[in-house]
Amino acid sequence: MGRPPTRQQAPAPLYRPVPCTVQSVADLTPTEKLFRLVREDGRPFGHRPGQFVQVSMLGAGEAPISVSSSPTRGPYLDLGVRRAGELTGLMHEVLAPGAEVGIRGPFGTSFDTDAMRGGDVLLIAGGCGLAPMRALIQYCEDRRDEFGNVTVLYGARTPEDRLYKDDLAEWSRSPHLDCRCTVDEAPPDQQWDGNVGVITTLMPPLEVDPQRTTAVIVGPPVMYRFVISELEAKRLRHDQVIVSLERHMKCGVGKCGHCTIEHLYCCLDGPVFRLDEIIHLKGAI
Amino acid sequence: MKSLTLQQVQDFLRSLTSDYDVQAPIALPDGTRVLGRLDEGPLAIPGGRVDSKPTSPFFPQLDRIFAYRRGSIAMQQPVEKPLLVVGLTAEDADALTFIDEFFAAEYRDDVYFNKRDRSAVIVVSGRCGKDGGFLKIAGGDCDLEFVCDGERYVLVPYTEAGKRLAHRAPEGDEVSSIADLQAESDALPDDDRQVLERASRLLQEDRVPEEFWAEIADRCIACTACNLLCPTCTCFEVFDWTRGEQIERYRLWDSCQLAGFMREASGHNPMGEEHVRTRRRIHHKLAADRTRWGRISCSLCGRCDDVCPSGIGIKAVTREIVRRFGIEKENGPET
Repeated sequence: MGRPPTRQQAPAPLYRPVPCTVQSVADLTPTEKLFRLVREDGRPFGHRPGQFVQVSMLGAGEAPISVSSSPTRGPYLDLGVRRAGELTGLMHEVLAPGAEVGIRGPFGTSFDTDAMRGGDVLLIAGGCGLAPMRALIQYCEDRRDEFGNVTVLYGARTPEDRLYKDDLAEWSRSPHLDCRCTVDEAPPDQQWDGNVGVITTLMPPLEVDPQRTTAVIVGPPVMYRFVISELEAKRLRHDQVIVSLERHMKCGVGKCGHCTIEHLYCCLDGPVFRLDEIIHLKGAI
Repeated sequence: MKSLTLQQVQDFLRSLTSDYDVQAPIALPDGTRVLGRLDEGPLAIPGGRVDSKPTSPFFPQLDRIFAYRRGSIAMQQPVEKPLLVVGLTAEDADALTFIDEFFAAEYRDDVYFNKRDRSAVIVVSGRCGKDGGFLKIAGGDCDLEFVCDGERYVLVPYTEAGKRLAHRAPEGDEVSSIADLQAESDALPDDDRQVLERASRLLQEDRVPEEFWAEIADRCIACTACNLLCPTCTCFEVFDWTRGEQIERYRLWDSCQLAGFMREASGHNPMGEEHVRTRRRIHHKLAADRTRWGRISCSLCGRCDDVCPSGIGIKAVTREIVRRFGIEKENGPET
């Protein structure tokens, strides 16, 4: 399991969104934007890498969004949001610096950085999976002494679809990280001199010490089984693999029933799970 | 223990409306018995379980979470008048204890407890079931029980709130014991419970193949009545409703039998196939909840079996599971 959330006394009332202010908005891709939020009362969110928040847009309801920033960066939340449904569409249209937005959370489990400490970490993200992974990458950067080799693999559909291009460029230059990217296809009108192929094409050349490596996978559902096979080939046990699973939580607090995986609630027991604890459950992967 | 005539019971409940928001079985013009307020229809105390979801007073179909207007949010507040819910069966009361635990676990759901806190529950049991049937005695799981001996209702309190209510009841005949009624209750058949337990074990042992769920799914018309009447179904959707300058956020009962139940904005749908949804309805109550909460979350109230137009309520499906997969296998003993 990921590190369990601190069961602070639930805020009362449980479903009241906390007012936050949009500090900045940046375009990530044609369909994704980065929103930086701070609480209006100035208090920190108390989040950890891997957790999510329920974003509330009055009139459009709520949606769960992964936190993209590490708490080591400051008392703000970065949310990388793809325009997908009504709520995220509204966020893209109306949220500008200074706008108010409601937040509940952070909720859910986080990446167990305590368990990773002292070893190598292999961080594998696909598509939007880089959103929660970015928080963990930032955490590893900011506490670099606590980890061995930090390797980042990222796959996107096309070069233009890559999230956090500035971060990716910085990570690729960094002497502290080994960051490798790939795209499924590189259309002629998009500049790209990197690897072309699905994310698993980045894995065979990697040297992985199975005795001291923790792998973390976050990406679209179709990606998991293939990446897990590659990790098994590198002799990683399932208890050395951490996954973050996407489900549509309506409430974020284990009540609405939309994110269950057998007896588990993705919002309470996840979204971060250790692979050996969920791989046998129907519908998990 | 006091015992009251039906007329005294009805008068007693009416006398409680000054202090309680009383919801009790009422008869609708078509003969349906549902939980309602006493001015919404004639009281219909005898007759067994109500046709409506018995936990709905605490978890209503549509529940406003908050209203937003001109920069301020008004959250739902605890009800002013405590609820008094009358007419649950022993099975309904058992289901209520399950959802009490569910809504209290991890994050306490204040929207539920705004109604449940300070409430009182009265179970009706004994010789007052539908067509003269005997209703199992709860023996707890509620504040007060009206145990019918065929003519009178014996008041059996279990909690301080129940004792206070019983104290307020009019003086009636005193009854020293309900031992004969209890014996009658204890002698009720528990075949359905045994089938449920066996089906639960088969599911936990993963001995029910996907093909079975595909067969059941073929018969399901996704009317969702099973979910909407089930006393332990608690899934809900959340949506906003804009009315003039006011934006209101609601929760609304949802059904895991609908194709869009788990569909994500990305299009990913972990329950996109019908047999997966059918499996979830049964597996969740009999296996998943047992693993998580230590108990099966079906109290065998029978509503889903009675309402299902395709004959795939939980009793019917569990009987079929046991019949087809509970036989002795080459590799193992009978379950």
